[in-house]
Parts: sequence; structure tokens; C-alpha cells
Amino acid sequence: MKFSTNWLRDLVPSLAIPPRELMRLITMKTAECEGVEEFAPWLAQVCVARVLETEAIEGTHNVKALIDAGPTFGRKTVVCGAPNCRPGLLTAYVPAGVSVSGKEVKLARISGIESDGMLASGEELGINRDQEGIVELAAGEPGAPLPGLSPDSVIEVDNKSLNHRPDLWGHFGMAREIAAITGLDLRDPVDMASIPKAGGAWHVDIRDRELCPRYSALVFENVKVEPSPLWLQARLEAAGLKPISNVVDVTNFVMAELAQPLHAFDAGKLHGDTIIVRRAAEGESFDALNGETYTLAANHLVIADSSGPVALGGVIGGAHSAISESTTRIVLESANFQAAGIRKTSSQLRLRTDASMRFEKAQDPVNTVRGLARAAELLARIIPGIRIVGGLVDQWFPAPPPEPIELPLEWVVRKLGRSIEAEHVQAILESLEFGVKLRKPGVFMVTVPSWRATKDITIKDDLLEEIGRIVGYDTVPPSAPLQPVHRPWINRERIFHHEVRQMCAAQGFTESSNYSFISDEMALRFGFSPEEHLRVANPISVDQALMRRSLLPGIHHNIIDNLRNYDSFRLFEIGNEIHPRSGGALPDEIPHLMAAICSRDGGAAALYELKRLAACLMPGCEAWPAGARPYEHPARSAELRWRGASLGRIFELHPDLVENARAAIFDLDLRALFELGVPPKKYTPLRRYPTSAFDVSVVAGLRVLCADIGALIRQGAGEYCLSVEYLYSYKGKPLAHDQQSLTYRVTVGANDRTLTSDEVQAVRDRTIAALAAQGLSLR
Amino acid sequence: MIETTLSDLEARAVSLLGQAPDAAALESARVEFLGRKGSLASISKEMAKLTPAERAAAGKRLNAIKERLESLYEQRKAAFARAALDARLAAEWLDLTIPPPGVLPGSLHPLSQIQKELEDLFTSMGFAVVDGPEVETEWHNFDALNIPSTHPARDAQDTFWLTDGHVLRTHTSPVQVRAMEKFGAPLRIIAPGRVFRNEEVDASHEHTFYQLEGMMVDRDVSIGHMLYFMRTLLAAIFHREVTVRLRPGFFPFVEPGFELDIQCLICGGSGCAVCKQSGWVELLPCGLVHPNVLRSGGIDPDEWNGFAFGLGLTRLVMMRYGIDDIRHLQSGDLRFLSQF
Repeated sequence: MKFSTNWLRDLVPSLAIPPRELMRLITMKTAECEGVEEFAPWLAQVCVARVLETEAIEGTHNVKALIDAGPTFGRKTVVCGAPNCRPGLLTAYVPAGVSVSGKEVKLARISGIESDGMLASGEELGINRDQEGIVELAAGEPGAPLPGLSPDSVIEVDNKSLNHRPDLWGHFGMAREIAAITGLDLRDPVDMASIPKAGGAWHVDIRDRELCPRYSALVFENVKVEPSPLWLQARLEAAGLKPISNVVDVTNFVMAELAQPLHAFDAGKLHGDTIIVRRAAEGESFDALNGETYTLAANHLVIADSSGPVALGGVIGGAHSAISESTTRIVLESANFQAAGIRKTSSQLRLRTDASMRFEKAQDPVNTVRGLARAAELLARIIPGIRIVGGLVDQWFPAPPPEPIELPLEWVVRKLGRSIEAEHVQAILESLEFGVKLRKPGVFMVTVPSWRATKDITIKDDLLEEIGRIVGYDTVPPSAPLQPVHRPWINRERIFHHEVRQMCAAQGFTESSNYSFISDEMALRFGFSPEEHLRVANPISVDQALMRRSLLPGIHHNIIDNLRNYDSFRLFEIGNEIHPRSGGALPDEIPHLMAAICSRDGGAAALYELKRLAACLMPGCEAWPAGARPYEHPARSAELRWRGASLGRIFELHPDLVENARAAIFDLDLRALFELGVPPKKYTPLRRYPTSAFDVSVVAGLRVLCADIGALIRQGAGEYCLSVEYLYSYKGKPLAHDQQSLTYRVTVGANDRTLTSDEVQAVRDRTIAALAAQGLSLR
Repeated sequence: MIETTLSDLEARAVSLLGQAPDAAALESARVEFLGRKGSLASISKEMAKLTPAERAAAGKRLNAIKERLESLYEQRKAAFARAALDARLAAEWLDLTIPPPGVLPGSLHPLSQIQKELEDLFTSMGFAVVDGPEVETEWHNFDALNIPSTHPARDAQDTFWLTDGHVLRTHTSPVQVRAMEKFGAPLRIIAPGRVFRNEEVDASHEHTFYQLEGMMVDRDVSIGHMLYFMRTLLAAIFHREVTVRLRPGFFPFVEPGFELDIQCLICGGSGCAVCKQSGWVELLPCGLVHPNVLRSGGIDPDEWNGFAFGLGLTRLVMMRYGIDDIRHLQSGDLRFLSQF
């Protein structure tokens, strides 16, 4: 929302604060300002000039004009290309050396003639969009500033910070804030006497009082539609609105001033003499002012005449009843619409207008007639001969007035965190036009003004904000709360995740973070069914339509990307898998760890490195062969088990998924691991008697599992066996090509004595016998 | 006569022991003179023929010689041993400029690091660190936070909707409600986590980013208390006191609501490109918890109240490290990630 400081000064006449300081005050007390923009600063140097003579310049469409630019500049010769440059015209003269819209007007030779300055169009001056010809002034003294036009500074306020303030969508609301902040007087531009006391000349029939609690209107005749005076056009330009014609400009002016959107109908094009406010028929068609045709639904509110919709209530007017040059009678609407209804309509039709933006903030129903009064006064000022037909047309279903809010002073002090006098509180609230009465010592009863009562202020907490912001939050001293100590709940699962991260980093893995989204195509590539994923209804692109059920697509993406810069690397991610659940329940979000080792010349070692990482997190975990999944190397995948539970997998990525490199992946269900916890630790007394050890080298087929032989040894060794540790394997001569030798160290001992060499030998014999029973011999 | 023999022997032995070129020569000299069958031993035997008086004098002399030779021998033996050790050690020279075998530690994502840091800080101040789901109910994400479907504030947050009617949480604020449901009052929590907005991605916009929600509910919590925690938080983040200002800000789930700005750390408040010439950087939306939000969490607003704040972790990481492109954070690019 753009605020013209000239406009604000009209409403707070003694305001002398420079624009930048005013912006700072508004930011600190009311709403966030985004900046100050200088509007047409050159107007300070542009003056009125009268064209004395013109002479066509042969071969061009330009004329050589002699002008009177007043006592300072005297008579000047300028070259002008405007078709309306004619003797006697009062227009705008830009002296040489002045910059307009970033371009300096120079003393120049044009068409062979020395041109000393420039006659300017409204568009060149930035005061309207008129580029048909140079400015035509109705009055003015050569050499004097252009009447009613001066440079302006425009403060832009962030719309988001005005969401809760319907009143601040007009200059008057902001002027009221400034008056409260500065203590200066506020001037109300509305004179209710502008509306004659007479019966209405039109009828209103509100058929949905919920969506439209009030509809007011005035009828005007003897209307002459033409461009607005330049001062009015410039005001609208400064506020970021486009000047169109006097009638439409007045509606926009009142909206920008009072936050009350108006709409003018060409009364000659309305059927009958009754405005009907009703819900649209389902599928009803409506031709809007913007040239679009909308198909309406039953929850949309239309303004209709006897033949059909003439406006979409509170959003946009209709094409057929729009103001045109031939308009002579108008019905000027000033209504109030329910915020929620407007919001729904506007978002369903994807149509946001200056009117809908205001109504969806919940405008004040009291304001409709004020808007008409202001418009009547302006129209009378700029359209000579215009007449109001009859008096106010008004149908209103007022909501019950809000209850006064009880406000204990002691509560204000406690919540604010600083002391404040009762008189001060009262003065602040009254400066913002709240009604304040003392109910009993220390307790106020506060009445909310109508323009703050629609939604903004309903409870005492809202009043606290009013007091706090005006008194200034920078006056509140920071202070530590004096509350009893409570030991916080400890989020062990989150701490566990941090520990896992640390462990991964210590093992050389760098942490990555990937999106929660994947594409259908990506899902299919890994053999996942897209239907088993949660789907985003409004994705940014089709690439990001599904919620990931595995971290693998993201990690895979990281692998492919990083292979462009690295020949080998390790990375990991901790993130949530998102698994849909039935029955409308929220999905199951399962935190997983996925770690990857990727290398261009990689061999099998990476898988064992990942197994080491797994063992760091789950000491003693086991990897057992498991059927390979579609994205896994069919002969290199295993399930990880720890403490009886299956917690994850290690595998090599299928070569179809990564070219010219190998990637080993470790996937771990962190929630299952966390829930399993760590086994309780218990001290075992240190062994008093020495142990003995012997090695066995077992010859076995190439695909006999190391863990299976180890288990066999353990079982065979039986009593006294303390541990069986795999040492190394060997392939090659003298072994057969389909055989390997696996060497284990068996440690034996007894708790109460040292084993004799005979006893150790007996264990060894038992072990060998057990192996032999399975057809395994020693090397 | 024996004196002459002893003197000759001493001279010869000192010469041989003293000039032995290596440990082996030294050892054979020792055997020759000091050995069980060595020269000194034979002379000692011959001394039996002497008179007692001569024997005493010669014995004394012999012992003196023996001591001198033994000392010389030990001294030279030690010298040879030292020389041998020195030679061995010299040969064991290693080039320690060679990089170590194996992998070096990896690094943690800067967002993880800052989360951990802030979790530790708030834990030390009595806050619990809580989690909430990334896929949320519409109620928790909006309605419970005083944002009904007709509220214009919903426009401010471009929401990802799922086909099952749930939403990807647009902020960490729903965790406020979940924490109140779980713990009741009094309550001190923070909730760091991933949030989503339906926005086109460019150098300064992401659809996936991280926030940290904070909330304290107790009896008589004031704006002054909130300011105290915010200042403590900022001093911990930036490792120095920072100048802050509190101004009104509108968020439906707080009343009053604030924007907390910090004085620009780049220009010190004089105005620069980072702070858009204003001297201030918007960092921390906060406010006193709206009574409707307390009610959503099952807490009686007449008895309890509190403050809440939301910190943009992604933004904070970018400020701390001077990261100019938000897309790096979710890129998985090791050239970026390995810098932290």
C-alpha cells in the first residue's frame, strides 16, 4: 500500500516530519515500511507557460512555439511535437537543465531550431497516463508552479503487515495513526452534510445479509464524464492507481482515502430501479469490467438488476453497466461485504482487485455512508452541474455492537514488563479513538471504534498491543523470568541422531541434505510404485510430486552429481522416510540414515567400510544374505541384524544406476535402532587365569559364508571356548581354484584354573572333528 | 721386577682397550686382559710367589690397574652401543610430510551444526527440544494457530497440499500446539525442523528450509521476559552483544506480535546492501502467545500465558557463513558441504 505524504499532510495539517523519519515512526509503531519513493520531484521546477505563437516547421510534424514562461524565464522558443500546441494554451514548461523521469531536458537544436526547454505531457510529468498531447491547464499564471501539483514522497508499506488492519487500507486510517503517534490534530475529510436529507431515488434488496450486511448508494444526474483535474490524477498516480475518468477516479480516490471501495454504475444501463444483492445461480455467467467472463458458483455474491448480475459484489463491476463517455446518470454503490466470502470468491476466481483486497480485511460497515459523502463532495467539486437525485439509499443489518473490553491496569503492567500510569494508558487509547471509562480503580472499560471492531480488536491482549506499540517496545527492559526451575524433558532420540552424525563424520562421511520430494519417474527407476507414495496436490513441478519413501533417490542424485567433481567420496544423510497410512491418519515419518561410499575404481572394500560404520553404531551387528532388491547389485546385498532385529541393509548400487563407478550404500532405520536401545552394561570380573589360543585354517568352497564357518567352530569347540575370531582368508595355490582357506583364532580358557595343554588339545580336536563332520578340512 | 711387568701390562692394555676400533676388538681386548684367563688373572696367580709385603703392594697396584681397565672398557663399550643406536635411528628416518592413510573425517551439514548449537543453548536454559511431523494436519498448521481458512494470512504462506488433504507444514509453529498437547503448562520448548513453502527456487528462495520455533508458557510471562531470552539467544548466535529493536509485526498466533530486528552486522547500522540501506535486519518474528492458541493446546489462557518466536535457521546459516545462494544448502554438492 502506497501512502502519499502530501495526502497525509492534508489530513494531519501540522505534520512537518520529514518522510524518512515518518517512515521510521510508522515502522516502529504501526506497520513495516519498505521505503520512500520520490514522486515527480521535478514538479518543483516545472512552471505554467502560455503559448503565444506557433509556426509549423516544414517537413516535420513539429511546431516552433513562442511561449511566455513568466517573469523568471521570460519568453522562450521551444520545439513541440504535440498536436494540441496552439496559441493561447496554458501548459507545463520544463526549463532546460531540469531532469524529468531521469532524462535531462537540454538546450537543443531540433529541426534546425534552438529549443530552450520543453512543453510536457501528463505522462512525461508522471502525473497521469496522457501522452496524446501537452498538458492543458484550466488556469494558472505563467511562471507559477502548476496549480495543485507538487512533488510528493510516497511511503510504501508492506501489505502483509496490514492484513489485520482494515482501516489502514486508506490514507485516513494511516493519518489517524500518525496523529496518535505525534500528538498532532487529525482532520476528517468527510462532511456528512454533502448528502441531502431526502428519500432515496433507487431501491436496494439485500437477499443475503450475511455476505452483505450493508448496501448504501447515491444516484447522480447531469453527469459529464471527462478526465479528472490534474491534481486528482496526480494523487491517484502517487498512490499507485491509474486515472481513468472523473467518476471512476473519484471512486478510487475515496477508496485510497477512506479504505471504502465504491463502484459507479451507469444508471442508464441498469434495468429497473432496484439493486438486488443475491448469491449467484450456480453456473451463472458474468462479464466483468476487465474483459473476462466468469462462470459463477452459488457461494459467489452478485449485485444484480432485474435482468442479471451487474457486478461481482466487492470484487469487480460488470462490463455492461460500466461508466462511459455517454454516461449521464450514475448509481454510486458504497457497500460492505463479508470478508470471508470475498476472500473465497476472489481466490476461487483468481481475481484480486483493489476492492477485494480491502474487503477481505473486514471493512467497517459504518464507513459506507462516509464514503458516499466524500464522493458527493468531490463530484460536486469537479463536475459542474452534477446533481444528487433524492437522498441516501441504504439497507443495513447492523451486527450487535461489541461489548466493551475490561482492561485491568495491573494486567497491562504484568504483560508489558514495565510500569505505566493509568493516565498514560487512557491517553494512548483515546488518541486512537477508543472509548475509555474507569469501571473501578485500576480497571478500564474500553469501547472499540467501529473501524477496529470488525475483527482486529476483540480481547484485552489486542489492547495491550495498542498500548505497547505507542508507548514504544524499546522502553521495555529485558528481564529474566523468576520462575521455578523445571528440568526439561530430554529428547533422547534427537541426541541420538546427533551422535550418529558425529560417528558418520568421524568415519569420513560428509552430511548431505536432500529434498523430501521425488518424481514419479524417479520412483519407477528404483522399482518403487508411485501409488504407494503420498502425492503433492500442487507441486512446483512434476519432478517434485511425490513424498520420498526412501532416502535412496536423493542419495543417488548426490552420487551422480558429485562424480562430476570427485573420483571417490563418502556422504550420508539423516532424513525422514514418509510412508502413507490409511484412514486419513498422518503418514508415518521414519528417520533413516543412508550412507554411501562411491568410487570410480572401487572394489568390494567399500561394502566392508560401510559394515565398519554399521558396527560402530551397532557393535556386533551381523550382515546376512538377503534377496536383492531391483536397485541392488544382485550378488552384493545383505540385511543388517542387531539384537535380533532387522534394522537395515548394505548393498552395492545396481550398475544400471551408476556408470563407470561403484557405489556402496548403507541404509539404517534409526527409529527402530533407537527404540531397541543399547543393552544395559554390566561389569564382568577380570579373568584370573591365563587363556590359550590356537589358529585353524579351514578349506571351504568359495561361497561358503565366513560367519557360518565361524559359528560351526564355536559350536564344535564347545566348553572353554571364549571367542572365535576371523583372521584372514587365502585363495590360490596349492588350493583348488574353487576353494578358499579361512583362518580363525580360537581362544579358550576356564574361570577357575589354567587349562592344561591336553585340555586345549581336546578342544582343538573337537573343533576339527566338528568341521570334518561338515566335510570341511584344515589346510 | 713385578712392578715393571704390571706397568708394561697396564700401558699395553690401556692402549688396546682405548684404541679398539670396534665393539668386537674391544671385547677381545677385554678377554685378553680382564678375562678369567686373561693377563691380569695370570699375574694374580704368579703373585703367590711374592713375600707378603711385596704381595700386598703388588695386589694393591693390580687392583688399581684392574679398576682403571674395567672403567675404560665400560666407557668405550657404552660409546660403541650409543654409536650403534645412533646409526640405527639415523637409518630409520621417515618422511612425515606424507599424508596419513585412510579417510579423513567428513563434515556435518551447517544446518545440523547450528541446530545442535541452539539445542544445547536452549537446553541449558531449561527448554525441551521437541519434534513435530513434517506432514501436518490443516488444523495444526493453521486453525489451531488462529489462522482460519478465511484468514488473509494464509495467502502469505504458499502451502503445499497433499492429495489426502494434509499439508506440508509451512512453519514449525504447529509444534507449539503439539507440545502443549503433550506437556501442558508450564512449558519451555524449542522445535527446530524442516518446513515447506510452495515457492519457485532461486538464489534467495527455497521451497524447503529450516526454522526453529520457541515457546515459553508460564504464569505472568511478559514482553520483558521475551526480550531477555531473545537477547540471550542472539548473543549466543553471534558471539557478541547485538543491538536489537522490537517493532509491531502481525502474526495471527501471537498478540501482541513483533518483528525483532538486529542492527546490521555488516555495516553496523549505517546502511548497506545487506540491510537494504535501513541499518536493520529482520531476524526474529515473535510475540506473546494468542489466547486462542493456548486454548488450542488445551491450556487455560486466564491462568497461563507465554511468548513464542520463530527463527529462520537457513537464513541464519547463510548470514553466519556469508552464503550467497540458498540452493547450495540442499544441493548435496561436496564442494560446498566439505567447507563446514
